[in-house]
Amino acid sequence: MEEKRNVILSAKDIEVKFRVRDNYLTAIRNVSLDLYEGETFAIVGESGSGKSVFTKTFTGMLESNGTISNGSVMFHGKDLTKLKTDKDWEGIRGAKISTIFQDPMTSLNPIRTIGSQITEVIEKHQGVSKGEAKKQAIEIMERVGIPNAAGRFDEYPFQYSGGMRQRIVIAIALSCHPEILICDEPTTALDVTIQAQIIALIRDLQKELGFTTVYITHDLGVVANVADRVGVMYGGQIIEYGTVEEIFFEPCHPYTWALLSSLPQLGVKGQELAYITGTPPSLYNKIKGDAFAPRNQHALKIDFVEEPPFFQVSDTHYAKTWLLDPRAPKLEKPEAIQNLHEKIKKMTDKGGSFHVEQ
Amino acid sequence: MSSNNNGREVILSIKHVDISFDTGRKKKFVAVKDANFDIYKGETFALVGESGSGKTTLGRAILRINPCSAGEIEFEGKRISGKISREEDRNVVRNIQMIFQDPAASLNERATIEYCVSEGLYNFHLYKDEADRIAKVDKALQDVGLLPEHKSRYPHEFSGGQRQRVGIARAMIMDPKFIVADEPISALDVSIRAQVLNLMNKLKAEKNLTYLFIAHDLSVVRFIADRIAVIHLGEIVEIADSETLFQYPLHPYTISLLSAVPMPDPVVERDRHAIVYDPSKLDQSGEKRTMKEIRPGHFVYATTKEFAEYEEKLAEMEKELTREQN
Amino acid sequence: MENESKNMNDLFTFAEFDEMESEHIAAPRYSYWKSVFRTFFRNKFTVAVAVLLLFILIFALIQPMHSGYSPIITPNINNADMKFLKPSAEHIFGTDHVGNEVFDAVWAGARNSIIISFTCTIINMVVGILVGAVWGFSKKMDKWMIEVYNVIANVPFLLLAMILCYVLGAGMKSLIITMTCTEWIFVAYFIRTQVMIIRDREYNMASKCLGTRTGTMIVKNILPYLISVIMTYVSRQIPSLISYEVFLSYMGLGLGTTNASLGRSISMYTSYMNGYPHLFWIPVGVLALISISLYIVGQRLADAADPRTHM
Repeated sequence: MEEKRNVILSAKDIEVKFRVRDNYLTAIRNVSLDLYEGETFAIVGESGSGKSVFTKTFTGMLESNGTISNGSVMFHGKDLTKLKTDKDWEGIRGAKISTIFQDPMTSLNPIRTIGSQITEVIEKHQGVSKGEAKKQAIEIMERVGIPNAAGRFDEYPFQYSGGMRQRIVIAIALSCHPEILICDEPTTALDVTIQAQIIALIRDLQKELGFTTVYITHDLGVVANVADRVGVMYGGQIIEYGTVEEIFFEPCHPYTWALLSSLPQLGVKGQELAYITGTPPSLYNKIKGDAFAPRNQHALKIDFVEEPPFFQVSDTHYAKTWLLDPRAPKLEKPEAIQNLHEKIKKMTDKGGSFHVEQ
Repeated sequence: MSSNNNGREVILSIKHVDISFDTGRKKKFVAVKDANFDIYKGETFALVGESGSGKTTLGRAILRINPCSAGEIEFEGKRISGKISREEDRNVVRNIQMIFQDPAASLNERATIEYCVSEGLYNFHLYKDEADRIAKVDKALQDVGLLPEHKSRYPHEFSGGQRQRVGIARAMIMDPKFIVADEPISALDVSIRAQVLNLMNKLKAEKNLTYLFIAHDLSVVRFIADRIAVIHLGEIVEIADSETLFQYPLHPYTISLLSAVPMPDPVVERDRHAIVYDPSKLDQSGEKRTMKEIRPGHFVYATTKEFAEYEEKLAEMEKELTREQN
Repeated sequence: MENESKNMNDLFTFAEFDEMESEHIAAPRYSYWKSVFRTFFRNKFTVAVAVLLLFILIFALIQPMHSGYSPIITPNINNADMKFLKPSAEHIFGTDHVGNEVFDAVWAGARNSIIISFTCTIINMVVGILVGAVWGFSKKMDKWMIEVYNVIANVPFLLLAMILCYVLGAGMKSLIITMTCTEWIFVAYFIRTQVMIIRDREYNMASKCLGTRTGTMIVKNILPYLISVIMTYVSRQIPSLISYEVFLSYMGLGLGTTNASLGRSISMYTSYMNGYPHLFWIPVGVLALISISLYIVGQRLADAADPRTHM
C-alpha cells in the first residue's frame, strides 16, 4: 500500500444547497475528498447525511433545485462543478464516471429489451456499429454472470430477477469502461445472498478492469468487505476518514463509535444494544459547533460552541472531533467495540456463531 | 410437536399450513407449503428468510389477513384460521397484534398520533371515559420512549424510528399476548434499529409477551431470538434453538445464509466467501421431504438420505466442538 | 487572560446529556386545513380569481332578485327605442330584441345555471361518494355493481335528457332530475377506483388488525385521502354541468321558455348576431368567465388540499 498512487478526482470545499420553497437546505457543508486511482472508497452514513448528494456532484446529477454554491471537483484537469449543460457532460457522465443505483427495477427502462439498453450506451459512447455493439453487450453480460446471455439478450427487465437486473445495471455502467464507478447503495434492496454475489462481482470486475469504485452504503458489513478507505458522513460533512482498518479498529469520532457499537453482531443476548437517540439535525438552519453534539453522550461543552477542525491521527486517518484536541479529557472508545477484531474473529472461527466451512 | 417441551406451554401452533394465491391462471401460486411448528409462551421465535420466502405471508395468515388454503393455526389451543365466529375473531384481535415493516406506510398520515394509538381502544371501548383513554395513550407513548406532547402531531412530523415506536405503542396499548413483528427494523436507519430492538425486549419482559419475529437479517435474529426457523421459497428448512442453529447449521440453505452475512471486520471479511445455495446438490430422488427431529428441538427438512448425511455431519461437528473445548 | 484560559478549560469538559431532549420536535405543529388555505392563498393569481368568482356568485344570486327579470315579462316589447341598444353607461350590456336589459337577462340566467349545477353536483357527489366508497371496499359488491355500471353508463345522455324532458316537462326540477339520474354512477365509479388503490395499503391492513370496522375505515382512513381528488372532480363537474344545462336550454329542452337561462338567451340572440354581436358575445363571455374561474379555483383548491404540496 506504500506506492504513491495518483489522485484521480479531487473535490475541495464542496458546498451544496437546495432550494425548498422559500428556504435553503445546506445538504453538503464543506466537504473535501481525494480519490486515488484503483481504490475502493466507501462513504458511510445514514439517510440525510448527504452521501448520495455528494457523489451526484461528480456526475452533475443534482436535482434541479440544487446548486453547488462553493468548491471544485477536479477531474482530468477540468472542474466538474463548472459544467452545466448535458452537452458539457458528454464524454464524462456515463463514459468516464458511471453510477449504479439502489433499485434495479427503476434504473432500467421496463419497455425496452435488456440488450437494447446495453447496446444503446455502447453505440452512443463508442460510435461502433450495431453488430459490434451487440457483440460487446453479450460479452459484458457474460462477464457479469448472466447465464445464457445470448439467449436472454432480447428479454425484458420484468423477466429478470432482482439480482440479475442489478447485474445488468452494472453491465450497462461498465460497458464504456469508466474510470470511476459510483455505487449508490447497490445492494440495499437485494437479499443478503444476492448482495454477497453482487459485491463479489463488483470487486472482481474492479480487479480486472482497474476502475476506481465509490461505494455509498449504510451497511458496515458491506464496507468491511469492499473498502480500502472509508469516509463517515454526518450532517452533510465527512467527520472521519481513514483506511478501512483504521476506521474499524481505531475509530476516533463518537459518531463512528456509535455506528459501530450499535451493530447487532456485537449484541449480547439479554443485554441492551448500544444505540443513538434522537434524529439527525435539520440542515435548514445553520449548525453551530459539532452537528452530532446533541445526540452525543460524550459531547464536550465546546462541541456546542465551535465546529471542530480535522485532527490528524495518522498519515491516512483524520477525524473532526474535539476529543482529539490535546486539551480534551482522554476518552476510551466504548466497551462494545474494544477488541473488535478479536470479538468478530471469535464469531467466525470454529465454534463461533457465524462460522462456515469455506 | 417436539419431544422436548421442558414443560413449556404452547401459545401458537402452525399445523401443516399451506397458503396459496389465485393468480388468475390455472396454477395457483403456493406461497407457503406445509409449515409446521409451535411457538412457546414467552419466547421470541424468529422466522428468517429472504424475499419471496413466504415469511410475511405466514405472519399475516396468523392475523387472519391471508386465508390458509390447507392446515390450521391454533392460538391457545383454539383454531383461529378459516371460518370462525365473530366472538372468536374479536378474540384474535384482542390477543394477537402486528408490528409492520414500513413505518411510513403503516400509519394513517391524516390522523393524529392520538387517534392512531387509540384506534384499538375505540374499537372495543377499552376505556372508562375520555380521561382514562388519554391516560392510556400517554402511558403507551411513554412506554416506547415518546412524549405525551406528541399526541397531537401527525405521523409525517416524526422520524422513521419514532414512527415505528408509535406503531409499537399502537399494538401494545391493546395488551396483547402475542405479537407478530414483520421485519420491524428493516426500514429503519442502522443506528435506530438498536433502539427499537431494545424496546421490544424491554416490553416483552415487562408484559410477558411472545413474539414471532420475521426477519431476513441473521445477525439481528441472533441477538433477539430464542428459537429460529429458516424458510426458503415457502418451505421451512430448519428449526432450532438460536444457539444450536448458529453452532450446528445443517441445511445447505441455512449455511449459505450464514455465510452471506457480512461481518464488520475488514480482516475477517477478506477471507470470508459467501456460499451459493445450490438446490440441485440435494437429494434428487423425488422422495417427499418432511421435518425430522435430528436432536431434541432441532428439526431439519430432509429426505431419508439427506437426514443420514446431516446426522453424520452433526456428529462430526459435535465431536469437533467438544475437542475444541477440552 | 486567566479567565480566558479558565473558560477554555471549562469548554473541554463534558456537557450534560439529556436523552429525552432529542425526542422533542422543534417544528411548529402541523394543521392540515391551515396548510391547505395557506398554500391556496399564497398564489396572488389564485386569490384574484377566487375574489372574482365570489363576486360573480354573490352578484348572480342577488341581482336577479333586485331586477325581477323573467323572459316572459317584456314591458318594452312594443317600444322600438328600447330595443337593440348597444352597451352604454345607462344600459351596461345593452338591450335585446324585446327591449329587456341584457344585463338582467344574463345575471338571471347565470343564477339559474349556478343553482342547478351546484345542486346537481352536491347530489351527484354525495350519492356517488357513499356508493363508491362501499363499492370500492366490498369485493362482493364489486362483482354485480360493475354490471350495473356498464348498463347505466352506456345510456346516451342526450337521448335520455330528451325523453325525460318530454315526460317531465321543462323546468328546474326536471332538469335537476335529468342531470343527476345517471351522473352519480360516474362519480361512484371514480371513487371506487380511488378506494381500491388505497384499500390495500399497509395502514389499512393495520386498522383491520386493530378490529376497525369498514364504516370507520371509510370515514377515517379513506375519505381524508380522497379530499384532493374529490375537489378536482368537483372543479370539473360544476362547469361541465353548466355546459350541459346551457346546451339543453339552447336546444329548448332544459329550462324552457319561462325561466331565465343563459342557454336560452344565447339561442335567442344567435339570430341577431350579424347586426348586434353584443347580444351573442356577452352571455357567452359571462358563461366562459364563470366556468373558467370555477375551474381554476376548484383546481387550485384541490392542489392545496394535497398534503404533498404543503411544506
